[in-house]
Amino acid sequence: MKLSPVRALLAAAFGLGVTAPAFAADPIKIAVIAEASSISGAAIPNAAKLAADEINAAGGVNGRMIQIVDYDDHNSAADAVRAFQRAKNEDHAVAVIASYVSEVVLALEPWSGRLQLPMITPGAASDDISHRVHADYDHLKYTFHGYLASTFLSDSVCDGLKTIAIEQMHAKTAVVMSEDAAWTIPLDAEYLKCVPKVGLQVLDHIRLSPDTTDFTPVFNKIEALKPDLIVTGISHVGVQPTVQWHDQQVPIPMVGVASQATSSTFYKDTNGAAEGVIYQTVSAPDVAVTPKTIPFTKAYEKRFGITPAYCGYTTYDEVYYIADAIKRAGSTDADKLVAALEKTSWDGTIGKVEFYGRDSDFTHAIKVSPEYIGGLLVQWQSGKQVTVWPTNVANAKMTFPAFIKLPAK
Amino acid sequence: MDNRKSFAAILIVLAALALLPFGVSGYILGLLTLGFYTAVFAMSWDLLFGFAGEVNFGPSFLIGTGAYTAGLLNHYAIWPIWACTMAGAGAAVIGGLLLAVPALRLRGPYFGLVTLVAVLLLQNMIVLFAGTTGGEIGLDLPDVLAVDDSNNYWIALAFMGISGLLLFGLSRSAVGLILQASGQDAVQAGALGFNVTKHKLAAFCVSALFSGLAGAMLIFYEGTASVGTVVDIGVGVQVIIAAVLGGRRTILGAALGAVFLIGAGEMLRPLGELSTFVVSAVALVVILFVPGGFLGAVLHGERR
Amino acid sequence: MQFLQILIDGFAISSLYGIGAIGFTLIFGVSGVLNLSHGAIMVMAAVAAWAGAGDLGFGPYGGAAFGVTVAVLTSLVTYGLVVRPIQTSTRIAREEREIFVLTGTLLWGIMLQEAIAYFFTSNPKTVLPLIPGVVSLIGVRTPAQEILTAAVAWAVIGLLWLLVNRTKTGRVLLAASINPRGLTLLGFEMSTIYFYVWALYGLLAGIAGVLLGAFLGVSSDNVGQLTASAFSIVVLGGLGSVGGSLIGAYVVGYLETVTAYLIAPSIRTIPVLLLLVLVVYVRPQGLLGRR
Repeated sequence: MKLSPVRALLAAAFGLGVTAPAFAADPIKIAVIAEASSISGAAIPNAAKLAADEINAAGGVNGRMIQIVDYDDHNSAADAVRAFQRAKNEDHAVAVIASYVSEVVLALEPWSGRLQLPMITPGAASDDISHRVHADYDHLKYTFHGYLASTFLSDSVCDGLKTIAIEQMHAKTAVVMSEDAAWTIPLDAEYLKCVPKVGLQVLDHIRLSPDTTDFTPVFNKIEALKPDLIVTGISHVGVQPTVQWHDQQVPIPMVGVASQATSSTFYKDTNGAAEGVIYQTVSAPDVAVTPKTIPFTKAYEKRFGITPAYCGYTTYDEVYYIADAIKRAGSTDADKLVAALEKTSWDGTIGKVEFYGRDSDFTHAIKVSPEYIGGLLVQWQSGKQVTVWPTNVANAKMTFPAFIKLPAK
Repeated sequence: MDNRKSFAAILIVLAALALLPFGVSGYILGLLTLGFYTAVFAMSWDLLFGFAGEVNFGPSFLIGTGAYTAGLLNHYAIWPIWACTMAGAGAAVIGGLLLAVPALRLRGPYFGLVTLVAVLLLQNMIVLFAGTTGGEIGLDLPDVLAVDDSNNYWIALAFMGISGLLLFGLSRSAVGLILQASGQDAVQAGALGFNVTKHKLAAFCVSALFSGLAGAMLIFYEGTASVGTVVDIGVGVQVIIAAVLGGRRTILGAALGAVFLIGAGEMLRPLGELSTFVVSAVALVVILFVPGGFLGAVLHGERR
Repeated sequence: MQFLQILIDGFAISSLYGIGAIGFTLIFGVSGVLNLSHGAIMVMAAVAAWAGAGDLGFGPYGGAAFGVTVAVLTSLVTYGLVVRPIQTSTRIAREEREIFVLTGTLLWGIMLQEAIAYFFTSNPKTVLPLIPGVVSLIGVRTPAQEILTAAVAWAVIGLLWLLVNRTKTGRVLLAASINPRGLTLLGFEMSTIYFYVWALYGLLAGIAGVLLGAFLGVSSDNVGQLTASAFSIVVLGGLGSVGGSLIGAYVVGYLETVTAYLIAPSIRTIPVLLLLVLVVYVRPQGLLGRR
């Protein structure tokens, strides 16, 4: 390749290297785009590096090492698009693991198609991610949804409610409380269908702005309705509603999706107000969902000092099954890689990972069912995350702080 | 530097930039494309602040109005891109006139607050009507300007070149001088027989027109319109920093500052979370020690 | 019942807004500075108090004191490193100082915000409440911390009133806010006065930050919102007027609370923004503004 003067000048000016042809022993680059200053976001690069180091220690993929290239998107769609372009054109990544925020992933999805660079999200939930792949497969087939779609998250919570709310708490009524965001639109739609189906009357459905800092009016309104349960769908907010729930002694238990609660720092951030909160997740530190779950949690805790947030588990698996797909495809070519990823059948930390096909509405979303990936309900008890559902893996019974009033039998 | 020489210099730089796609990677082109749109934001802001003296904290009110008008028309009415962009620019001009009314009555921090409130209201409206606007999620657009990096780059470059020449020409014309005079002392400028109101209104319209156009084109480049890219206060802050860094009252400096800011943010990427910190610190050092900005520092000897 | 609830919650949040805004307006009155790093200083105080009470092991009271101290120091650094160099620079034309101070403090605020996010993540932090538990106040279950918040805010406002009206330093400060040039003629060193004002400002912003952190919790993402809200309150009440700011704080606090309770929490701030536009049009000097 001849180096044009303009290119040399620009390379010098920007301090960037000039593209060289790839050699067989060059590392395989996987890009990671996430918001580094949030707890959920930070788990993504951390878990990816952990997985890459393990794969490399075991000899890499066909003799090539895996290298994680890590970008901070500051939770901005524009920064993420820029990082994505850089990953493709400058760093020559073969695949991207991107963000836990649906807004960001939906902005990246068309770019994944335009630049033909496979992308998997470890934590965004919006159903639209896979619906769009279904609607325009030829262009968008490069996007994979490596986390439960919102509808499946609701279903998982409802499954758990059947046991813990109806059978154990004897609850009859609930209020659905979720934040106004892309991922909660399908989540709420499904909640409103499945919560009544398990036998809980939904008294109200409250959507709150993710900018809310004072939750007093919200809890007030909920308490006036006297429900037995608050079913949550929160991710961007978490610490503040939890602390205010505790400080104001709102006597109603909270159960549902609460992404921030999945990290072990949540207890400290809330000064222990998390006590009694129940959240849905796919893996927990205390449960061997698969034989890989606990070793991963231990290794992660040893290296980073905290337990992984929910998207740490999915990211760790994703690096492994991307590597596996490259091995099976025998190539890092985007179309071959997509074809190989579609045939993924990987036993990871969250269960057995397979993707729905073209015929499903949820094209390229991970399959959800007990034989693939179920869900867990985990409760904060004395500063520990303990699994309370499903009963066959539960390590403890539910307990609540004194201010919670459970319905009479 | 006289006007003819300045224009010649600008044309040479633009011609050189137009050759870049033959020599550099798509990644750098993508970066510059974003830089060019930001450059138009910053130049428009400079016309309003640097020349007309209006402390506008809300460039993203004009940008966002243009972008969302264009985006909604494309998403729902499936108008072609050019029609959406024109409509967006028109809506931004109306927004500019709405801002101009208080600007003629209020001064300094009071007007600054009104512009800030305008941004917050726009943002709240978009979030409130999330069902239509996509809210914080963002609005996906069926059309994009181009997929190819080079084409996108040329479109952005041509757009910046034309906008820049027009804005720069305006600032160097009699209108620019009258604006500058009324920005510094409106009473005196009025006493000299200039119609301050008319000129300020014109400045608002022109600034809004280019902000709206650039906002609309940016979303058609990215293929998505979101609050974070065209409305958020942070977007406005970046525009202001770019213009101040490059040198106020120079128009061209604003463009320079914008491209620098986008480039620096990217070069500092290895610092991860600290990159914004470092960019802000550099900007702070510049305004403390080189208050004239980059271009001000270069032209310093010639001007005085 | 709901009326009482609004009355109590609105009072606590308004008192909190009040002390935050008084510091902001004081600085403007005395030195003509609109400090756009205001929100960042409040968040610094809250996060320092959280870290002090937790990781550093100072306990809730030690942590709160540590938070306020950090805010005072940050405030003095803001003045010494950002504001003063701009005000004394010979390279910046006098009529441009205002926009430079605005840009400078804005950048400084972003730096503080990013530093907090880097060291402590942008996840919200809640300061350990000084008094845990709830009490029943005229039939409304109220966290003790909420009552403490209002009580501390009013104690601070009372002390400030005593300082301004009953001490020599206070009278000098008051005079400085009315006519700085006259004071210089009387032989007062303005730089000493500025030092005191910024220290006092740091104290007020720090207390407001710690109380907010214990009452609602704060994250580095709230920086812009906190600055904008103080700015709005101060303009509503009249720039430079302490009494006006206090009234502005109650108007904003109650309007927000009423909106959140009676209409919807998601549009909490919209009526305030509309009111602000209206006031700025009809009475640009604010409710109690001097000019």
